[in-house]
Amino acid sequence: MSPTADRRLDGRCPSGEMASRWTRHKFDLDLINPANRRRFHIVVVGTGLAGASAAASLAEMGYRVSALCIQDSPRRAHSIAAQGGINAAKAYRNDGDSVHRLFYDTVKGGDFRARESNVHRLAEVSNQIIDQCVALGVPFAREYGGTLANRSFGGAQVARTFYARGQTGQQLLLGAYGALMRQVHAGRVTLLPRREMVELVQVGGVARGIIARNLISGEYERHAADAVLLCTGGYGNVFRLSTNAQASNVTASWRCHRRGAFFANPCYTQIHPTCIPVSGDHQSKLTLMSESLRNDGRVWVPSLAGDERPPSDIPEGERDYYLERRYPSFGNLVPRDVASRAAKRVCDDGFGVGATGTAVYLDFADAIGRDSRAAVEGRYGNLFQMYEMITGEDPYRVPMRIFPAVHYTMGGLWVDYNLQTTIPGLFALGEANFSDHGANRLGASALMQGLADGTFVIPATITAHLAGRTVEPVGPDAPAFGEAEAAARERDERILSVRGGSTVSTLHRELGLCLWNQVGMSRTEQGLREAIGRVRDLRERFWNDVRVPGEANHLNPSLEHAGRLADFLEFAELLATDALQREESCGGHFREEHQTGEGEALRNDEAFCHVAAWEHDEGGAVRHEEPLSFEEVHLVTRSYK
Amino acid sequence: MGRCHVLIWLRRTFGSSIGSKALMACTGLVLIGFLFAHLGGNLLLFADADGAAFDAYATALEHSPLLPLAEAGLALLFCAHIVLGVRVQRANREARETAYRVRRTHGARTPGSRTMVATGLVILLFLVAHLYDFRLCRPEGDSLALIVRERLASPSGLVLYGAGVLALGLHLTHALRSALHTLGLHHPRYEALVDRASFLLGFVLGLAFLSFPLVFFLGGAA
Amino acid sequence: MGASPTTLRLTLHVWRQASRDLPGAFEVHHLEGISVDMSFLEMLDVLNEGLTSQGREPFCFDHDCREGICGMCSLVINGQVHGPDQEITTCQLHMRHFADGDTIVVEPFRARALPVVRDLVVDRSAFDRIIAEGGYISTDAGSAPEGNALPISTAAADEAMDAAACIGCAGCVAACPNASAMLFTAAKVSHLAQLPQGEPERERRVLAMVERMDREGFGGCTNERECQAACPKGISVAHIARLNREFLRSSVLGRS
Repeated sequence: MSPTADRRLDGRCPSGEMASRWTRHKFDLDLINPANRRRFHIVVVGTGLAGASAAASLAEMGYRVSALCIQDSPRRAHSIAAQGGINAAKAYRNDGDSVHRLFYDTVKGGDFRARESNVHRLAEVSNQIIDQCVALGVPFAREYGGTLANRSFGGAQVARTFYARGQTGQQLLLGAYGALMRQVHAGRVTLLPRREMVELVQVGGVARGIIARNLISGEYERHAADAVLLCTGGYGNVFRLSTNAQASNVTASWRCHRRGAFFANPCYTQIHPTCIPVSGDHQSKLTLMSESLRNDGRVWVPSLAGDERPPSDIPEGERDYYLERRYPSFGNLVPRDVASRAAKRVCDDGFGVGATGTAVYLDFADAIGRDSRAAVEGRYGNLFQMYEMITGEDPYRVPMRIFPAVHYTMGGLWVDYNLQTTIPGLFALGEANFSDHGANRLGASALMQGLADGTFVIPATITAHLAGRTVEPVGPDAPAFGEAEAAARERDERILSVRGGSTVSTLHRELGLCLWNQVGMSRTEQGLREAIGRVRDLRERFWNDVRVPGEANHLNPSLEHAGRLADFLEFAELLATDALQREESCGGHFREEHQTGEGEALRNDEAFCHVAAWEHDEGGAVRHEEPLSFEEVHLVTRSYK
Repeated sequence: MGRCHVLIWLRRTFGSSIGSKALMACTGLVLIGFLFAHLGGNLLLFADADGAAFDAYATALEHSPLLPLAEAGLALLFCAHIVLGVRVQRANREARETAYRVRRTHGARTPGSRTMVATGLVILLFLVAHLYDFRLCRPEGDSLALIVRERLASPSGLVLYGAGVLALGLHLTHALRSALHTLGLHHPRYEALVDRASFLLGFVLGLAFLSFPLVFFLGGAA
Repeated sequence: MGASPTTLRLTLHVWRQASRDLPGAFEVHHLEGISVDMSFLEMLDVLNEGLTSQGREPFCFDHDCREGICGMCSLVINGQVHGPDQEITTCQLHMRHFADGDTIVVEPFRARALPVVRDLVVDRSAFDRIIAEGGYISTDAGSAPEGNALPISTAAADEAMDAAACIGCAGCVAACPNASAMLFTAAKVSHLAQLPQGEPERERRVLAMVERMDREGFGGCTNERECQAACPKGISVAHIARLNREFLRSSVLGRS
C-alpha cells in the first residue's frame, strides 16, 4: 500500500451561505425537457429506501428505469429492518428544533468527519421526506388530535423522530415500494428481481451499464444504460456476523471500485451495543434490540473474573456496574460506541458472562422493583418477547445477556455533492455511499438519508449529468459488455473449478472472526497488521481450497455466497488498511493508541480532518484525501464523563 | 351498448371470487330463512295425533296460487347455491395442484368449516331423495302427514333423514358466520357473538329437524 | 432446569426439486448434535454444510433478514406454515420447540400461483403484480402537502398500521385450504382504505387488485381463518371482511 498520494479530491460542493447552497445549486443544474427524458435509460441497482425511491422518482419524471434487486421482491430490501424511526426538522414539538439544529447534531454526531454542505442538504429535505411519506400512506404514529407524533431517539435533546410502531423502516420501504410498483404498472420501470450486479460496464470512461446475474437461471444479463445508480447498502457482513440481512454484501460497490470508483472511509463501522450475543458456531445473524432498553436496564458483570454462578446467586456487592462506575453522569446511557467498547473490554478481561463468555448482563430487576413488572412490560414487552423467543430465557426473571454487534457502515463509495462517484455516470445513494454521516451515524438518520438521496437529490443531479453531455447510443452488443460479461463468467467458473475442501461459510466465518477481533470496535496498529496478513492468507485459501457445489446455470446460493465472499476478502484488506492509516480515533473508528487518559476517543484534526478515498490499484490501493472544512459547526471534543 | 355494459359489470362482479362468494352467501342466508319456514310447517306434525293440522297446512300450501312461484324461486336459490358452490370448490381445488405431504391445522378450522363441501354434497343427495319421497312420487290422495310419519318411522327413513339433517346442522354451524363475513359484515366486538350464534343455529336447526325422524322412528308410525 | 437435552438428533424429510418443470421428491437426512439454541434456518445451514462437505448439493431455501421482518423465509414444517409456534416466521423458530429423535417434514409453500423455483424456493411475484394494480397511493415526489395538513385519528392510524404490518411472506396462501391470497390483498386494501390519503383511489384500487388476485390463480376465501392463525404478524381476518365490503360497495355503488 502506498501512503497518501498528493492528489486532492474535490467534493464539488457549492460555496456561499450554507442555508441556500442546495437551492442555488439546484438552480445552477441543467434541466431536460420532460418530453425528452424518456430517451434516457437509467439502471438502479438495489431497491431499498434509496433505490426504490430513486427508481420511482426518476420514472415519475419520465425517465425509463430498470430496477434490479437481489431478493424476490423489492419489498424485502434490508431497509425494512430499521426499527427506530426517521428524523426530520419539523419542530412540531415546539422544542427549539430547526434545520440548522438537525444539521448541527448530525455533523457533531458524525464526529466532524462529514461534509457540512451534504449534511445541511440532508437536514433541509428531511421535512419534505415526511410530507412525501405521509402522502404515500405511511401509517406514522399519531397524537389524539390526529397530528403526527414524535419521540426523542438516540439521546437527542429534541423530539424529532417520526415512527410507525417499531417498524418504521418497514413502513417507509413499503411506501417507496408502492411508489415503485405504480411505475412498474405504468410501464416506466422494468422490475428485475433476483438479479445480482456482478460487473460495471464503462464506455469511454463513463458508466454505461452493468452485467447482472439472473440468480434463478444463472444467465449473465447485459443492461445498457445512460447512467447507473448503486443503491446496494452497506458492507457490515464483511464481519460475517452483523445485524445485516444475509444477502447484504459489498460486491456491487467493490466491482465498481475495481473499475475506478474510489472507496471512502471503509474503516467507519458502527457497532450497536444492545444485541443478543452469539450462542455458538452455528450463529448466522445477530439480532438487534432497541437501545431504549438502556433507559431502564442496568449493565453489569461479576466483579470476579470467570465467575460462573448464575446471576441470581451473585450478591449485589460482587457485581460491577461498570458503566455507572466509569461514567457517573451518563451511566448506562453513554453513546453506542462507548458502551460497546466498555463491554468488549470487560469481556476481554475475562469478566464476560454466558456460555461463550462474550456477553454482559442487562438487568431490569431494579426497574421492575421500582416501576412494577407491568410498567416494564408496557415499555419493552415486545423486546422481552423477542429476547425470550431467541434465547429461551425469561428476561423478567433472569438478566438479559447482551453484546455489541456490527450494525451500520458509514463508509462507502466516494461521491461528490451530486452523489456521483469518481466514475462519470455512476452514482451511489444511501448506505452505499459515504457522504452524510461522517465517522458515526445518529439514530434514525439512515432512513432519512436513503430517502433524501433517492427522492430529492438524485432527480436533480442526474438530470444535470444527462443534460450535460451528448449521448452516444450504447447497446448491449458493445465490446465493453462482452468484456465485462466474460470477466464475470470467468470469475464464477474459476470459483466453481476449485472444488477444494473448505465451505464458503467456514471461510466467511474465519474472516469475520479475524475482523471482529482485530478490526472491530477497538483497533491497534499491530492487530491491524496481523489482520491484513490473515486476510491475505484467507484470500489465498479461498482461491485454492473453496468448495462450491453445483454449477453456474441454476439457482446456486453457494456460488452467490462465494462470489460475495471473494469480494469481501479483497475489501477486508482495504478496511483494515484504512483503519491502519487513520492514526486517530473518531466515531466508529477507535484506535487504542489514540485515546485520552480516561479511554475516550482522541481525534487528530491536524492530520486527519479529511475523507480518505481509496483508488484501486493492483499494486496496492492509493489513498486520496478530500479535506474537510467546518464553517458553521466548530470542531469540539465530546465528553460523556 | 347499455346491455353490454351491464353484462360486463355482472361478469366482472359476480364472476370474481368475492362476488360469487357473496352470491353464495346471499342465497345461503335466504335458504336459512326457508329452513325456518319449513321447520315451522313441520312442527305441525307434533300438533295433533291424526295429523289434521299438518294436512290442512299442506293443502292450503298446495292450493296457494303463489306455490309455483315460491317453488321456482326456491329451486333457483338451491340451484344457484349449488352451482356456485361447485364452481368455487373447483377453483379452490385447482389453486393447489400439489398437496402437502403433511397437513396440520393452525387451530382455526372447525368441524363445520372443514366439511362444508362434504356436507353440502350430502345435503344435495338428501334433497333429491327428500323431493322424491314427498314431492315427486308421493301417492295421490293420502294424508301427507301419514305418509311422512310412515317414511320417517322406517329404518331407511331414519338413516336417510338422520344423516341428511345432521349434515345440514354441521353445514350451518359455519354457514352464518361465513356468509356474514363474506358480505363484509364483521366487527371485532361482535365476532365471538356471531361465531356462537352460527354454531347455535346449526345445532338448533339440526336437532329440531332430527327430532322428526327420531320421534317417529322411536314412537312408530301411529 | 430439567434434563431437557441441549442437542438433538433429528430425521429430516426435505423437498428436493431441481426446477419448476421437473418433478420433486422428499429426501431423508439424519442430523445429530443440533443445538436447541439454533434457529430452524441455522439447522438447515448445518444440513447444507454437511451436504456441501460430502460433495452433494445443498438445499435451496429463501431467507434474508433472519429476524422476522423481510418476509423472505417460507417453509411448511410438519404441515404448519412457519412451524408450530405462533406469530413468528420460520427464521424466528428455534430448535428448542423440537424434541430429541423428532422427524421433521420440510415442504415448500404449495399453491398454483406460487410455483416452486427450486427445492424449497417458490416464486411469489404474483404478490408484486397484485400490488402493482393499485396497492399504493398515486402521489409523485414533490407534490405532497404538509404532513400535518391531514389529521388522522389514532384509531384509524393504528388500524391502518395493523394491516400495513403484512410482510408479504405468502404464509396466508400456504396455510389456506384453498390457497387463497385474500388476507394479503385485504391487508393492503384495508391499510389504504382507512386513510384519507387512500380515498381518491379507493374504488378503483379494490376492483383492480381483486381482479388481478383472481387472475393469478389463487383460490377463494371460505372463511376458515387459517390464514390469520398462521400469519407471522397476526393480521386479522377482519381485514378480509373489509376487503369484501370495499369490493361489494365499489362494485354495486361505485362510480366507475
